[in-house]
Amino acid sequence: MLSFHRHVLPRVLKSRSRPLASVADTVAPTPYLIFDRYAKVLQKDRSALPNRVENSRMVDYLRDEIADRLTERMLDIKRKFNTVLDLGSGPGHFAKLLETETTQKVVMFDSSRNLLHRDPDEEFKAEVERIVGDEENLLATIPRNSQEAVVSCLSLHWVNDLPGALTQIKEVLVPDGVFLGAMFGGDTLFELRTSLQLAEVEREGGISPHVSPMTDTRDVSNLLGRAGFTLLTVDIDEIKVNYPSMWELMEDLQAMGESNAIIGRRGYVHRDTLAAASAIYREMYGGEDGTIPATFQIIYMIGWKPSPNQPKSLERGSATKSLKDIL
Amino acid sequence: MTSPSTTTTATKPLQRLALHSTSTCASQAAAYGKCILATYTDVKKDACAEQFAEFGKCLRTAMKRKW
Repeated sequence: MLSFHRHVLPRVLKSRSRPLASVADTVAPTPYLIFDRYAKVLQKDRSALPNRVENSRMVDYLRDEIADRLTERMLDIKRKFNTVLDLGSGPGHFAKLLETETTQKVVMFDSSRNLLHRDPDEEFKAEVERIVGDEENLLATIPRNSQEAVVSCLSLHWVNDLPGALTQIKEVLVPDGVFLGAMFGGDTLFELRTSLQLAEVEREGGISPHVSPMTDTRDVSNLLGRAGFTLLTVDIDEIKVNYPSMWELMEDLQAMGESNAIIGRRGYVHRDTLAAASAIYREMYGGEDGTIPATFQIIYMIGWKPSPNQPKSLERGSATKSLKDIL
Repeated sequence: MTSPSTTTTATKPLQRLALHSTSTCASQAAAYGKCILATYTDVKKDACAEQFAEFGKCLRTAMKRKW
């Protein structure tokens, strides 16, 4: 039996965008603590327990789609890789799409053992190796200058020290190695965020964190540049998924292992508040067909570790022909 | 994109709450939502208390529980 407290916790939500943090040292204690990483591992592990594997596979739709879109970006790189490190791979949404023509071996790296071992090796085309490790402390497991390519498909949004994590990724890459990433950011789940906030304010008189603060899309190229990557490509994509109601959305998020893991979150939400949020969600954002949309904004990023024999962008203003004449 | 809970009978309390808040008490939920929509730029505690009282009453009746 759950007990429902009636007092109000007037917690102020942290700023929506994560501002740039300073990178003192690559392995220095993280200056920012927003997410409870231990809780996140538990949530992910639970989502892939034997009796929930079916549920977990059922909610692959979002990650599979984004992995597919990231693969398209990878195909633009005309290279053959001996190994690709898939950081925060989960069960291998991205790794499964790697063809043997371009990739010989993929190393899957995730903090959740259950999720990492959810799917059998037969589903992969390339050779697979699995490593359980902390994405925030990559250098503890992976040696410097050892990777030809690092990929991260939807795991960086749970990293506390994003500048530090990106710097570590750059460190493990060999010179002229490439990093490809996709992460949730920007307006992801803004409908759920605002509905819960409005419900909490109206019912209880205060707000508490339910949806993570998201990385601002504009900050990503600065972050990559600061971590020491060159030849940056950053683009944004949006996926809208329609659900019957807020409840199905929250259930799917839980099955994805994407439940709230903000430090200072409330362990429960009053059922009146939940019911209120569901009603607000429908009225504010619901479509005419009775469904409710959930927005996922994905930031794709590509960066290269500098190397002397790498093509460099020309000096600004050094062009001899005007683009206007050609077009 | 249907979750398994919607295709099977709702048994868990949260699933029952989900069902009742979206279908059984849909009209009260809509009235409450419309009230919030009208005031969402300046929502205060109990701004839509009247509408929620109706919604909450319906939920409690449907759930056969008090809270």
